Amino acid sequence: MSDAALDYQRRIPRITRSSITPSPSLIRWTLRTLTVLLFGAATAIGVNLGIGAPEISPTSVVHHDRVASP
Amino acid sequence: MRPLGHTATTLLILVYLGAALAVLQGFVGSGLPIHLGASSVAQVSGMVAGYGAAVMLILMSRAPWLECGVGAHRLARWHAWGAPLVIILTVVHASAAVVAWARAKSTDLLKATNDVLSLPGLITALVGTVILVLIGVASLRVVRRRISYERWHLLHLLTYLAVGLGFAHQLAGPDLVRRMWLQIAWALLYCYAFALVLRWRVFQPAFQLWRHRLKVEDVRQESKDVMSILMSGRHLDELRAEPGQFFRWRFLTRETWRAAYPFSLSAPPTRHGLRITVKAKGDGTRRLFEIPSGTLVFAEGPYGVITRRRRRRPRVLLIAGGVGITSMRSLFEVIDLPGKDVTLVYRAAREQDLVLKHELDEIADRSGARVVYLVGPSSDAANEMSAHALNRIVGDLSDHDVYLCASPRLASRVRDSLMDDGFPRHQLHEERFSL
Repeated sequence: MSDAALDYQRRIPRITRSSITPSPSLIRWTLRTLTVLLFGAATAIGVNLGIGAPEISPTSVVHHDRVASP
Repeated sequence: MRPLGHTATTLLILVYLGAALAVLQGFVGSGLPIHLGASSVAQVSGMVAGYGAAVMLILMSRAPWLECGVGAHRLARWHAWGAPLVIILTVVHASAAVVAWARAKSTDLLKATNDVLSLPGLITALVGTVILVLIGVASLRVVRRRISYERWHLLHLLTYLAVGLGFAHQLAGPDLVRRMWLQIAWALLYCYAFALVLRWRVFQPAFQLWRHRLKVEDVRQESKDVMSILMSGRHLDELRAEPGQFFRWRFLTRETWRAAYPFSLSAPPTRHGLRITVKAKGDGTRRLFEIPSGTLVFAEGPYGVITRRRRRRPRVLLIAGGVGITSMRSLFEVIDLPGKDVTLVYRAAREQDLVLKHELDEIADRSGARVVYLVGPSSDAANEMSAHALNRIVGDLSDHDVYLCASPRLASRVRDSLMDDGFPRHQLHEERFSL
């Protein structure tokens, strides 16, 4: 019994812990799935950013003057 | 330096190919026919700096295929070579662009700077550039020596912010606009680079913390300025760490959580425990000596390729200098050869600098392996670490795989001597890192 339980002279019920621990292979596959999801999200964000990127450069006036722009 | 492996060669080819495309796009973006001047300098330097920044992120992402295929030390060398180039190109790009603007608008540089900064995304790009320059200055050898590793590391983390701040400006750059596929490819390059960093520098250690609950079990004094930190955890065999490898350790106390320290395992890992041995080199590492038991440990790794699997020859020579003994100590215990074929040469300036000596003697007694201590000033001929001297100690050196871990100075002396003597490069295994 814990100190607290001894103080109160009774057994404090514990939250039952699951006796099922994930196997290494389940963890490996979960990590692989998460990695695929992460890169899937990166692909979606990248494509969206690319499609939504400006069509006119703020410095295009200078560019058309055949001079560099920042 | 070991010859490049397949992964490193492929990666280098891809990086150079990408850089060539970026240069080409920079020229094409400034319009045909090509005119050399501030305009094209700004376009090309901007494209290559943007591309280089993403490549630097990828190189430092700690992805296992990079760490194992290329090697932590080589990646760090490429980063140390490439990162200053990216910073210089960024500054050249900004300066050339302002000059070009001033010429186009027939105005002075001050007014041109003001005009340029009023454009969308340019203030954030400027902040990013300033941060990059500050990091570059802090990394100069002369400045780096004056600031602690912890401060430098913290400042270095701002690189991610700096690169992110510059990104919005890049997509709107004249090299990419009106070329949607190029804008998508550029955005994907950056998103994948950040995803790699997130996956291997954040998720993986966080997952390992959850899964293994690695925590400090005990801190044991080995000598006046050397301590061993013993850590315990669950399912540590799943880490597949091997003697000779290292982790980047972040001890989660209020004082030490900011910095990740690369330290080798100083004992073969077990299912329930890991051990590192640390020498105090500054305030940061000295603070590690006061870490209370139970402190959680955020560990990135394992990294490093100098494991027993590298061995090809029938005999092994382990060479350690100072606290470089840590990785050699763990290898010394597990090299799968009869003891008579294993020799450890351990160099230290003073007797009291010999770390873990009692353990080395015990392993040697048990396995029949040989330990040779070279203690005293390096001017003493008996402490010579040349190929000739090592040959004298072990017999036929060419019959050995040589594992080396020492201070940069000693390691370079031994390496140079071995190479000058014609010792095959592929038989020399070393991991170089210093705080």
